[in-house]
Amino acid sequence: MSVKIDTRPIWVLLGLKALRPLFFITLAASFVYIIGMPTPEGLTPEGQKAIAVFVVCLVLWVTNVIPLAITSILAIVLVPFLGVLSTRETYSLFGNEAVFFILGAFILAGAVMGSGLSTRVALYMLSRFGSSPKKLVMVIFLLSASLSFFMSEHAVAAMLFPIVLEISKSLGIRPGRSNYGRLLFLSLAWGCIIGGVATFLGGARVPLAVGILNEMTGRTIGFLDYAVAVFPLVVILLLLGFFILTRSFPLDIKGVEGAAEALGKRLRALGKIGYTEYAVGAVMVATVLAWMFLGRRLGLSSIALTSVVFLFVLKLVRWKDIEEYVNWGIILMYGGAIILGSSLHKSGAAEWMVNGVVGSWATSPWSVLLVFSLLALFLTEGMSNAAVIAVLLPASIAIADKLALDPVLVTYAIAVPAGLAFMFPMSTPANALAASSNYISMREMARAGIVVNVLAWVLFNLVAAFWWPLIGMGY
Amino acid sequence: MKKVLLVLPSYTASEEAAEFAVRRAKEEKAALVALYLIAAGTADDVFETFSDIGFIGDRPSSQVSEAIMKEYRQRGYEELGKVQIKTMEEGVAFEPLMEAGEPVEKVLSTIEGMGITTAVLVKRKERAILRYFQRSYADEVAERAPCEVIVFAGGHGPIKEEKKDVKEVD
Repeated sequence: MSVKIDTRPIWVLLGLKALRPLFFITLAASFVYIIGMPTPEGLTPEGQKAIAVFVVCLVLWVTNVIPLAITSILAIVLVPFLGVLSTRETYSLFGNEAVFFILGAFILAGAVMGSGLSTRVALYMLSRFGSSPKKLVMVIFLLSASLSFFMSEHAVAAMLFPIVLEISKSLGIRPGRSNYGRLLFLSLAWGCIIGGVATFLGGARVPLAVGILNEMTGRTIGFLDYAVAVFPLVVILLLLGFFILTRSFPLDIKGVEGAAEALGKRLRALGKIGYTEYAVGAVMVATVLAWMFLGRRLGLSSIALTSVVFLFVLKLVRWKDIEEYVNWGIILMYGGAIILGSSLHKSGAAEWMVNGVVGSWATSPWSVLLVFSLLALFLTEGMSNAAVIAVLLPASIAIADKLALDPVLVTYAIAVPAGLAFMFPMSTPANALAASSNYISMREMARAGIVVNVLAWVLFNLVAAFWWPLIGMGY
Repeated sequence: MKKVLLVLPSYTASEEAAEFAVRRAKEEKAALVALYLIAAGTADDVFETFSDIGFIGDRPSSQVSEAIMKEYRQRGYEELGKVQIKTMEEGVAFEPLMEAGEPVEKVLSTIEGMGITTAVLVKRKERAILRYFQRSYADEVAERAPCEVIVFAGGHGPIKEEKKDVKEVD
C-alpha cells in the first residue's frame, strides 16, 4: 500500500486544515464582539443583537459553508434566545402566508412535473416549432421562460436539461467546441432566469419579499399587479437576451433534422395524453386564474392549498410523489428569512442601519431604487436570491419609510433584480446546469452574462421610471 | 509485456496526449490501456445546488445528476472509441476502461493492478498560484505512481514537471 506524501509548504497545509474551524471561531468571536460592544447611540440593545444575528447569517449565506436552510434555523434559534423577539412571536412568523403560498406552489409544480405534463408540453413545442437551428434555440429560450411563469425556474431547468442534452447529442455537436452547443444551454439557463421573474411562481423569492413586506408594513402585492408591473421588463429582456445570445455565439450548424427525429421519438414514447395530465393541467389553470382574479379576496396561500387538496381528492398525486418533488428545507429557509427580517424591523435595527450607513446618499426615491436594484443584482451573483432579499429588504423598507417612498416599490427593486443572475454557475441552479454540460465554459458564461446583467439593471430602472407611473405605481 | 496507460478525464481532452500514448506504445511494443475518468463530483455538485439552493426535491435533482452521468458515460465511449481507432491504425493492442470516482485512487489502482510501465495523464492548464492551494489529480499520481508518468496540460502538449519520476517529452 502506498503512502500519500503531500509536498506543499507546511504553512499552506496547516492553513488549509485550519480554515474551517478558524472560520467558525472568527465568526463566533465577531458575533460575541458585536453583542458585547457598547450599544451605539440610537440603537436599542435588542437591535444590536439583531444586527449580530444578521451579520452571522449574512456571512453564512454568502460563504455557503453550511446549507442555506441550516443558516435560517440558526436565525430561528438565535432571535428568541437573545431576546430580540419572544419565542411565541418568533415561531408564529412561520404562519406567514408567504411560507404556505410557496409550499402550495411547489406542491403544484411537483404534480405538474410528476404527471409528465410539463415534459409533454416541452417536447411538443420543441418538435412542432424547432424546425431550423435558430428556431430551435428560440423555442428552447421561450419555452424555458414561459414554463417558468407557472412553475419554479429551477424545476423547469431540471426538467428541460435532459431534453437539451439529447438534442445536442442528436446534432453531433461537441462540448466546448460548438457555438450551437453554447447557445442551446445558455438559452435554457437565461430563459429560466428571465421567465422566473415574471410571476410569483417562478421562484420563492417574490412571495418571500411580499411576506417580509407584509410583516413589516401590513402592505401586500397582488399576483396580477406584480405580473403587470414586471411585464415590459420580461418582454424586453427576452428580446434583448435572444439578440445577445445569437450575436455572442453565431450559429455554426445548418440543420436540426437529427434533433427533430430524437424529439419525435421521445414524444411518441410518452403515448397518448391521459386523464392525470388533463386533470393536473386543469387544476393548474384554475389555480392561476384564481390567483389572478380572486387572490386579494381569498388569499394566495388559501388558493394554493385548496388546489393541493383538490389534487389529492381527484387522486392525481400521492403523498409519496410530493415528498420526492418538494424539498422541505424551503419552509425553514423562507420562514427563517422572514423571522430575520422581522427581528431587524421590530428591534429598530433596520432603521438604525439605514440612518447610519445609507442616510447620506439616499436622498431621493430614484437613488434608492437605483442603488438597491444594483446591490440586489450584484449580490445575487454570489449568494442565494432568497438570502439577498432577507439581507436587503428590511433596510430598504426602513429607508422607504424615511423618504416617504412607497415600500412596495423598494420591494420590487430588490425582489426582481435578485432573480436576475446571469453570470456564474454558483448564482443559480440553471447556470450550474449549463456549466456542468461542458458545452459552455465559466468564462464564456460570465462574459455574455455581464452584458445582460448591466442591461437588466438599466431596463429595470427605466421600467420603474416610465412604466410604473402609467399603472399607478409612480414615485 | 509492457503497458502504457492513457488517462482521459471527462472535463478536458488532449489529442496530443492520445497520439503520444499510441506512439509510445507502438515504439515500446506495449499494449495501450485507455482509462476514461468520469468526474462524479460534477453530478454531485449539481444535485446539491438544486437541492440546497433551488430547494428542488430529490427526484428531479437525481434525474438531473443521472442525465449528467449518462452524458459523461456516452462521451467516454466516444473518446475511448477514437483512441481505439488510432491503436488499430498503428497495430497496437488496446484495452478500454471507464471508471467513476476519486481520480487519484482509480488511476493508482489501475497502474498497480495492471502492471503499467508508463502513464500518460491529462490535466487542466492551471495558474501557478493555484498550485499552492489545489492540486490536480495528475500531480498526485505523478508523485505516488511506481512508474514513469507524463503529464499533458489540456490540449497544450506535455508540460515540464520538476520531479525525477516525471519525464518531459519534446
